[in-house]
Amino acid sequence: MGSPLRVVHYVNQFFGGVGGEDQAHVGVSARAGAIGPGRLLEKALGEDARVEATLVCGDNFASEREADAAFALGAELDRLKPDVLVAGPAFGSGRYGLACALVCQIAQAHGIPAITAMHPENPGASSARRGAYIVPTGASTTSMQAALDVLAPLARRLGRGDALGSAEVEGYMPRGARRVHDRGRPGYERALAMLLDKLHGRPYRSEVPYAPPERVSPAPPIADLSRARIAMVTTGGLVRKGNPDRQVSANAVRYHRHTVAELESLSPAEWEAYHAGYFNHIVNSNPNYILPLSFLRDLERQGKVGRVHEHIYALPGVSTPVAVSAAHGRSIAEDLRASGVDGALLVAT
Amino acid sequence: MISAIYNFALTTGANRVIRGARIEHVCGDPTLSPEKDYAFGMRIVTSALRTLTVAVPGPTLFDPMEAAHAS
Repeated sequence: MGSPLRVVHYVNQFFGGVGGEDQAHVGVSARAGAIGPGRLLEKALGEDARVEATLVCGDNFASEREADAAFALGAELDRLKPDVLVAGPAFGSGRYGLACALVCQIAQAHGIPAITAMHPENPGASSARRGAYIVPTGASTTSMQAALDVLAPLARRLGRGDALGSAEVEGYMPRGARRVHDRGRPGYERALAMLLDKLHGRPYRSEVPYAPPERVSPAPPIADLSRARIAMVTTGGLVRKGNPDRQVSANAVRYHRHTVAELESLSPAEWEAYHAGYFNHIVNSNPNYILPLSFLRDLERQGKVGRVHEHIYALPGVSTPVAVSAAHGRSIAEDLRASGVDGALLVAT
Repeated sequence: MISAIYNFALTTGANRVIRGARIEHVCGDPTLSPEKDYAFGMRIVTSALRTLTVAVPGPTLFDPMEAAHAS
């Protein structure tokens, strides 16, 4: 049998027996052996593992003095050199969860594998901290044993230098990392099997995670269109002719803002479409089909629309991830709001 | 949002969805005469502008070719 696994456990001031909220300001200290839930952790880890030391830190210290906490924790970990660091479980405690995510990041930066556990909605589990292995738990300490039962075996494997498999197999929260591997059966077989399960009402799990779009509160109506400033946005890949701005034809990493203050219409001599998702030639002969400037100018002249906003926004929507599109949308919306725009037409292809 | 793929557009969270003509020519129809093409495009655009002046409870489809939504 090899040497026992050397584990360091991180807990907050409460689980470390220092005190409650009144002690949340305490800095980092190291105690020999396991404390509190660390004893349950040691038991769950098995015979050939030891919680050699417990690092205790106040939740407020960890969040308000992050740099100091990081320095002190890093120093302790360099001194102790454990095989693996286990933090928490933090369950639903937000500051504790953030502190656990922090100490895992520090451990990994110091070459020590690390793992923690908390409720999926704990702020510490948010995407910014997702480099760490985080085992999902219930919201309260009543799920302590269940959490340790998943956490401990993974901690052992990390401590022995093993790589963990995929999140769905091992039971930790997906980290957003993609690794190529063979699923063992061709896609058409897996698709048909999934379809049959679905048709027969059996449980099935999609290989492609689906995130339903969020609901957006409808903007309140414009009271008087004849006094409104209206802007236009298109995802039809409108570009200046010749694409001098070097916009891409799909998966837009940026959008372009153009000035149309001097224009009555979009002329095919000056504009075209560059979009990999549809047949561009028709728009090339009349760009107003995807950005209706000619119509808006007409309505502006007739007094039916107050003002046509001088800026238009264009990008190729095709193959642009939802999260990226949302960022573009927020940025454009901020611009429009700052310019006093009352309403916008978005033409999508 | 003016879109020819209007059913899909309604699933994106857009609250005011106006049915466009075709993906390749959302605001008009090049197979029509220039006058009719422009009139068609104008009908779509004015419908879209009109939706900005009404309250909607959530994702709502407006069809410019339905009399109620035309200018």
